[in-house]
Amino acid sequence: MSVDTRLPSILTAATPRRIVTFVVVVLIALLVLPAVLSTYWMKIMFEMAAYSLVTLGLGLLVGRTGMYSLCQIPMVAAGAWFALRVHYLFDGVPFPLILVMTAILTGLLGVVIGLPALRLSGLYLALVTLMAAGAITLLLTVVKFPNSNKGFWGFDKRVPSGQNVLPRPSLAESDIAFYRYTVVIVAIGFLIAAWHIKGKPGRAWGAIRQSEVTATAAGVNNTLYKLWAFALSAAVTGVAGAILVAGAGVTTQQFPVEQSILLLAVVLLGGVYNLWGALVAAFFMRVLPQILDKKLGLPPEVLTMLFGLGVMQVLLMQPKGVVEDLRNLGIFIGTKLGLVGRNERKALAAAEGGAA
Amino acid sequence: MPDFKPYLVIGLALGGVYAMSGVGLVVLYRTTGVLNLFYGAIGALGSLVAWQLINEYGWNEWVSFLAAILLAGVLTFLYGWILGPPLADRDPLVKASASLGFALILLGFMQWYWSTEVRTIALPTTNWQYVRAWLNINWTQAIGMIFPVVITILTTVLLNRTKVGTGMRALADNRDNSALLGIPVRKVEAVAWFGSGIMFGISGLLLASLVSMEIAALTFTLPVAALAAALIGRVESLWVTLIAAFVIGLMQSTLGAVSSVAQYRSTTPFVAAIVVLVWFGWRGQTSRRIA
Repeated sequence: MSVDTRLPSILTAATPRRIVTFVVVVLIALLVLPAVLSTYWMKIMFEMAAYSLVTLGLGLLVGRTGMYSLCQIPMVAAGAWFALRVHYLFDGVPFPLILVMTAILTGLLGVVIGLPALRLSGLYLALVTLMAAGAITLLLTVVKFPNSNKGFWGFDKRVPSGQNVLPRPSLAESDIAFYRYTVVIVAIGFLIAAWHIKGKPGRAWGAIRQSEVTATAAGVNNTLYKLWAFALSAAVTGVAGAILVAGAGVTTQQFPVEQSILLLAVVLLGGVYNLWGALVAAFFMRVLPQILDKKLGLPPEVLTMLFGLGVMQVLLMQPKGVVEDLRNLGIFIGTKLGLVGRNERKALAAAEGGAA
Repeated sequence: MPDFKPYLVIGLALGGVYAMSGVGLVVLYRTTGVLNLFYGAIGALGSLVAWQLINEYGWNEWVSFLAAILLAGVLTFLYGWILGPPLADRDPLVKASASLGFALILLGFMQWYWSTEVRTIALPTTNWQYVRAWLNINWTQAIGMIFPVVITILTTVLLNRTKVGTGMRALADNRDNSALLGIPVRKVEAVAWFGSGIMFGISGLLLASLVSMEIAALTFTLPVAALAAALIGRVESLWVTLIAAFVIGLMQSTLGAVSSVAQYRSTTPFVAAIVVLVWFGWRGQTSRRIA
């Protein structure tokens, strides 16, 4: 029996099962959902796709490096704002370039927000980011976000605080086309995240999460990789903001502090140790409230209560989140249907143990 | 030179309200190791229950306020009694996150039951005023200023002079050793949870009367100043927390007199907390109190 001695990377992680799962999910999102869902539900699915980048960004920070940030929702606002500013500064700049520039600018902002992480950790870091979220949210109201005028700074206090929309790319002007465009961006975002997690940065983050002292002793550059995690998380989140401002526009009231707390709750509930947890969290955040409201007639506030209960349940009993329950359910069904054998089950459990 | 005088009274009153929650947070953290992040929600719930009892059921005002404060104490106690033991050995971050989960439960309940319509609550003490020269102060503001100082003195005496206080200080040092020495850990923690809940209830009522009854603001935005004060006191010193809360309240209020920064004054507690946290963190002073 040959032993794989290669260092973990996205190539070693790309097992046939994972590739097939990824392709099937992307194809369902691209082809099946637009064919079977109404215009209203496609709007909700667009929001879920965009927010899956936000939950992915926070999941990366919490799950991989063990750093809690409660400033992720203001990062969405920052992404939207940067995208608008780049658009106003360079009239006619292609949409993909706007996304790239937004990712870079938001990533740099993420580095600034992450600077305290060099000397703070755990609860203290979470509180600093919560305070930053509160301050930024108040500033957004004062500056009438997303105040729009020509030029990069382009602040005009006479402009009322209203909705602001970024022009969509020419090849995706309709709602369905822009949804598909978003799904492709999201898929790229998840691949970039997987590339990081399975590569050298992921190993460095894992070492930092276990013990910063040990990571330093092992030769990990803690400063670099901590800031890298914040930059990547912010960049991915900023892109979500740019997509949202092009898809439906943004307003000041969209980014209150409690949304940052709610986001952390759904990310913990979804599962932070598995990339699919980001999709589950985005589903909880954007789709489940609509299902409760439109299909079951329950007020959305009930969901806030359920999220609170879910967070406590996750912290007390199931730290891997709902995605782990779904995975176990999938293995159970696969076993009953004869699709997963005993040896495969053991291999899956071993792989999971190694990943954790 | 801007005229700061009209802003002094409200600033001190606000600072006092922040101080009361801040002292509650410090006592609870020192005893149980939990940085309670649902204290704003408990205060908001208390004020809404008081509003409901007075306006919908016609209860006497004082009885309603007492019931609201007791409810805040009982709910906080129940949270600590039920979730304290399973979370006792967990990381402070996990304990704080669990308290955020409870805050979401309370927030969802309040938004569902009371919706987001505008309400106001005025304590009877608001009608009693003292006016002399530029000084115009009502008794709610006076209570906001004086009560936290009294509470801080009483808490200091409790911690230093009573058996329960000795138990609390022992728990703050080492929970397991305290249990081995025969200190009734659960009872001492219960006192801390209930007492801090009472403080959150009182400050919630005062905040609702002095500032706003908007649910989300009462739950998360407004009480942040109390958290900032507690953090400035490194969740350890009652007196530093008290002074920090008064300074934050004063700054937040008096900046209203400076037209160029007046619109940014609400960010005062956030900025103060960030500066202090980063300062302590940079000097390596955080690890002993909060990991």
